[in-house]
Amino acid sequence: MVGEQGGTRRMLTGNAAAAWGARLARVEYIPAFPITPQTEIIESLAAWCAGGELAARFVTLDSEHSMITAAGAAAATGCRVFTATSSQGLLYGLEALWTVAGWRVPLVMVNVSRGLAAPITLEPDHNDILAARDSGCIQLHAETCQEVLDSVLLAYRVAEDPRVRLPVIVNMDGFYLSFTREPVEVPTPQQAADFLPEAQGEPEFRASRPLAQGVAVLQGALYSHFRYQMHLAQEAALAVHEEAAADFEQICGRRYGAVEAYRLEDAELVLVMAGSFATKARAAIDVLRSEGKRVGLLRLRMIRPWPAAAVAAALGHRRGVAVIDQNLSPGLGGILFQEVAATLARSARRPGVLRSFVGGLGGKDISLGEFRHVVDVLAAASDSEDLHGSELLFTEADWQQVQSLVQLAQFPETQAVPSDDGRSEVRR
Amino acid sequence: MKTKREFIHNLKELPRDELLAPGSPLCAGCGGLLALRLLLKALDGNVAVVNAAGCMTLLAVYPYTPLRTSWLYTTMGSAPAGAQGIRDALDVLIAKGRLPREEDLRVVVLAGDGATLDIGLSSLSGAIHRGLDFYYLCYDNEAFGNTGFQMSAASPYGSRTATSPATPLQAAGTLQQKKDLFEIWRSHHPPYAATLSTADPVDLVDKVRRATRLRGPKLFTALAVCPPGWGSAPSRGFEIAKLALDTGVWPLKEAIDGKVRHTYIPQRRRPLEEYLRTQRRFAHLFSPQRQEDVLHRMQQAVDAYWDEVQRHEMPPR
Amino acid sequence: MLRIRFHGRGGHGVKTASRIVGTAAFLSGFYAQDSPIYGAERRGAAVAAYTRIDTKPICERGAVAEPDLILVVDETLLADPAAGVRVGCEFASALLVNSGKEGTALATELRLPCPILTLDLTAVVLAVVGRGSAQSAVLGAAACALAGLGPLERVLEAVQRELVELGLEADEQARNLEAARRVYADLSAVPARPRLPASGQVELHRPTLAKGAASRPIILAVGNAAARHTGRWRVFRPVIDQEACTRCGVCFALCPDGAITLDERAYPVIDYENCKGCMMCYQECPVHCISERQEVQAW
Ligand code: SF4
Ligand code: SF4
Ligand code: SF4
Repeated sequence: MVGEQGGTRRMLTGNAAAAWGARLARVEYIPAFPITPQTEIIESLAAWCAGGELAARFVTLDSEHSMITAAGAAAATGCRVFTATSSQGLLYGLEALWTVAGWRVPLVMVNVSRGLAAPITLEPDHNDILAARDSGCIQLHAETCQEVLDSVLLAYRVAEDPRVRLPVIVNMDGFYLSFTREPVEVPTPQQAADFLPEAQGEPEFRASRPLAQGVAVLQGALYSHFRYQMHLAQEAALAVHEEAAADFEQICGRRYGAVEAYRLEDAELVLVMAGSFATKARAAIDVLRSEGKRVGLLRLRMIRPWPAAAVAAALGHRRGVAVIDQNLSPGLGGILFQEVAATLARSARRPGVLRSFVGGLGGKDISLGEFRHVVDVLAAASDSEDLHGSELLFTEADWQQVQSLVQLAQFPETQAVPSDDGRSEVRR
Repeated sequence: MKTKREFIHNLKELPRDELLAPGSPLCAGCGGLLALRLLLKALDGNVAVVNAAGCMTLLAVYPYTPLRTSWLYTTMGSAPAGAQGIRDALDVLIAKGRLPREEDLRVVVLAGDGATLDIGLSSLSGAIHRGLDFYYLCYDNEAFGNTGFQMSAASPYGSRTATSPATPLQAAGTLQQKKDLFEIWRSHHPPYAATLSTADPVDLVDKVRRATRLRGPKLFTALAVCPPGWGSAPSRGFEIAKLALDTGVWPLKEAIDGKVRHTYIPQRRRPLEEYLRTQRRFAHLFSPQRQEDVLHRMQQAVDAYWDEVQRHEMPPR
Repeated sequence: MLRIRFHGRGGHGVKTASRIVGTAAFLSGFYAQDSPIYGAERRGAAVAAYTRIDTKPICERGAVAEPDLILVVDETLLADPAAGVRVGCEFASALLVNSGKEGTALATELRLPCPILTLDLTAVVLAVVGRGSAQSAVLGAAACALAGLGPLERVLEAVQRELVELGLEADEQARNLEAARRVYADLSAVPARPRLPASGQVELHRPTLAKGAASRPIILAVGNAAARHTGRWRVFRPVIDQEACTRCGVCFALCPDGAITLDERAYPVIDYENCKGCMMCYQECPVHCISERQEVQAW
C-alpha cells in the first residue's frame, strides 16, 4: 500500500502513482476487474475505499466488458469515474470502449500496456493500447511514474471539459513503469483541488428530467454527424490539454506537451518513440552525442488526438527520422510510423529520409547497440532508396536464444540449456 | 459416511500413469494442480485440455509443458467455446473419414473460479445448453489467484482478498456470498455434475470414471487449496481440504441427470472454525477481536445446508 | 550510477531488499529506482530485483545487465544458469553471497571474474529474527553498507519504512532492525571498480519465415517440463524410509506435482530433480516414515 497523505516526494511505482492520481482527483466510482500488471492499482484503491481514505465506491465487476460499461454508465449518470485495465482486458472490453466513447461521457482509464496473446506474455508493448486507437478515447502515453500521476489529473480536466466529453486513457508500460519505483512528487490535496475542482457535473439521469442517451442512429447523415462530432471533440482536446497543462504547470511546476523533445534543437537525426522505452533512447542519445552524432528524440505523448502540427514542426526539416514502434501490425509493420509518415507527406517540409523500426516487442530490451544500429542506418541512408516495411530490432544473440528454445520445444531428447533468466511466469 | 465406490476403492488402485509430468512452474502445494493430475489419471489419456487464462496458463510456457496431452490456450472468457470448436471439428473429421476413430480425444476445459463464475459464465452456460460432449474442471481457489488473489464470485463471505480487505468499515472482508456453481450447473440439466476434493482422490477418480459413460457436459468443480492466497503452509494442503469436508463447508456430491447424491456425509460435522483457523485469509475473524456475528453467519449457512440435505436425501433414522 | 542486483527465491524478500536500498538512497537525496523482475513470484522460484542510484535522473529501465554489486541470498542459485547470477559479473565491484563459507574458498570454487564476499545472513536472521523469516532487512542493510549508503540511522529508517509497508508487527520490525544493524556493522563500502566502457555494438539478425512448427508457438516435446528442475525451489527435502513404508500409496496420490512414482514393488520413489518440497507427503504419511532434511540455508 502506498503512503498516507499526499503532498511529498516519495518512491512510487507506476501503479501506485496511478492510484494516487485517482485519489487526488477525488473520484467517486471505481469499477474494477483484476489483470496483471495493473492489479496493484485497483488493490490500492480497494484498500483506500475500504479504509475510508477515499470516499468512493469500489465494485469488482465480472469482466472488463462489464467494467467499462459500468464505468461509462456511471459517468453518463454524472459521477467522476476511474478504472484501469491492461492488455487482454482492454481487448475484452473493446466493444464497450467504443460504446462509452460514443456516449460522449468523461471518464479516465489507465491502461498498463502488455503484449497481446497469442502467445500470451506479461511484458509490455503497445499493440493493446493501439487497438483502442480508433475508439474515440483520448490517449496519453506516459514515460515516467511522475507522468502517470500527473496525466491522470490532466486527463480529468480534458475529459470533463464541455468541449470534449470523451473518455481519456492514460497509458503506461507494464513492469517498466507499473512495478518500478522512482521518485514521484505527489501533489498536495490543495494543489489537486486548485487544478481539478470537485466533480460537479450536472447529474444526467434524474427523476425530474428524463432523457435518453446513447440513442440508435439508423441513418447515414445522422451517423456521420455524430461520429464527426467525436472527431471534432478530439481535435478540440488538443487546445483543452494545452490549457490544462499550462494551469498544471502554474500549480505543480511541471509542464506536459502533446509531444516532448529531447536534445532536438540541433539534431540532424531524430528518433520518434512513445512510452517508457523512450527513457532508454535518452541514454543512448547521450552516448551517441558524446561521439559527436547529432541525434535527438521526439517522444509522442498524445497519440489521440494526433498532434499533427507538432509532429510536422518537429520533424519536417531533419536529415533523417526513424520511428521506433513498440508494436507490430502484421502485414504492415510499425503503426505509429504510418501516422508520422502520413503527417510528413502532407507537410511543406519533409525529412531527407524516413525509416521504420519495430523494437521492444513483448518487453524485449532495446539495447544501446540497437539504437546505434538505427542511427547508423539513418546516417547512411539516402533519399533515393525505396525502402518499405519495418526493420525488426532483433539481435544475433536474440536469434541464438530463440533457436535453442525452439529446439527444446520440438525435440524431446534436447537437453535443457541455460535459457531465460528465470522469467518464465505468465499471468493473465 | 461414504457412498460405495464403483470404479476404484482405495488409493492402491489409482492409475500409475502420469499425464502430468513434474516441472510445472505452479506454486508448491497447488491444490488445483493436484485436482488436474488426478482427473487426468481418471481419464487415461487421449485428452485435449482447453485452458482458460489463469494460473494454469503457466503449465505450458514455451518451450516447456508438463502435460503429455494436447493443450490449447484460450482467453479467460471463452474456454468452453474453444472446447466446442475442437469437439465439433473432431466429429466432422471423423465423420468424413479424415481422422480415424481411434484418434478421437476427450475434450477437457480447465478453468479457475474467476473464469468459470465471472468472465466465462456465459460461454460455459452456452456449451452446456448445446449439450456439448466435454469435461469441465473448475479449480476453485475462491479468488483470482493468478493476479495475486483478488475477490471473485467464488470468494466466500468472511474471507479476505486483495480487493476485499478487512477494515473497520467492512469487517467481514468479502461481503458477498459465494455463487453456487453446482446449482448453476444443475439448472442447465447436464447429464453429470459433481464437486471434488483433493482430500478424497478415490472419490474424485470414481466420479470422473462414472461420468465417462455419459454423453454431454460432464462438469466438475474441485476445491483447490491455494497456499499463497489462502495463507497456509503448502504442507497443510491435504489437511485443509479434509477439514473442508469434515466441517461440511465443501460438500462432496454429484448430480446424475439432475438427481443429487452426496458421496460423503460427515456424521458429526466439526465446527467450521477449525477450518477457518488454518488460513490467514480468515484471520481477521479471530483477531484483534473475535467477530462473533460473522462466524455465526458462516456456521449457520453450513448448518442450514446440511439440514436441507437431511430433509431431502437421508433416509429417516 | 550505481547498479545493484539481488538474487533470491520467491519468499526471500529480494523485492523488499531492493526497495530498502532505493528508499535509503532516496532519503539520502539521490535519485533512485527499484524494481522486481516480476510482480508476484512463486515461493521458491528464482527471482531477481534491482536498485539503481545516481546523482542525476536515471535513464535506464528494466533488468540490470551490468551490475556494480550483486547480492545472492541462496548459494544454490550460483549453480543455476537460469537464475542468471553470473550475467555481467565482470562489471561488479563485489558479489556478496549469503553463506557460512569463507569468501576466499568460495571464490576458488566459483571462479568468477569479480571479488567475492561472504556473510552468513541466515545465521543472523536465525539468531535475531527467527526461523522462516524473509531476508529483506539484512539483505537491504548489506547492500546499503556495500554501496556506502549511510549513516546507520538512515538505513534503519529505510528498513523500517519498508517493513511497515509490508504490514509487519512492531516486535517483528524491532527484531529485523536489530538484525539489519548487525549486518550493516559487519560490512563496509566496497571501492568502485573502474567501469568498462559500454561497447554498444550488436549484430542485427534479419528474421526469415521459419518452416513448419518453428513459425508458431507449438510444443511437440510434450511432457518436457521436467527439464526445468523445479527441485531447485526446495527448502526441505522429504526422505522416505523404505523399511517403515507400508506402501499405502498416500504420498503418491497427493503429490501435486506427480514427483512421486511407484516402483515395480509399489514403493514410492521421489524425483528430487522436480520435487518442489511442499512437504505434503511428509505431513500426511500415515506411518510417519517420511522425514524432512533442510536443503538450503537461506531461510
Ligand atoms: S496461486 Fe494458488 S491456484 Fe495459483 S498456482 Fe499458486 S497455489 Fe495454485
Ligand atoms: S514434498 Fe511435495 S512435491 Fe515433493 S514429493 Fe512430497 S508431495 Fe511431492
Ligand atoms: S505415505 Fe508413507 S507409508 Fe504410505 S506409501 Fe508413502 S511413504 Fe509409504
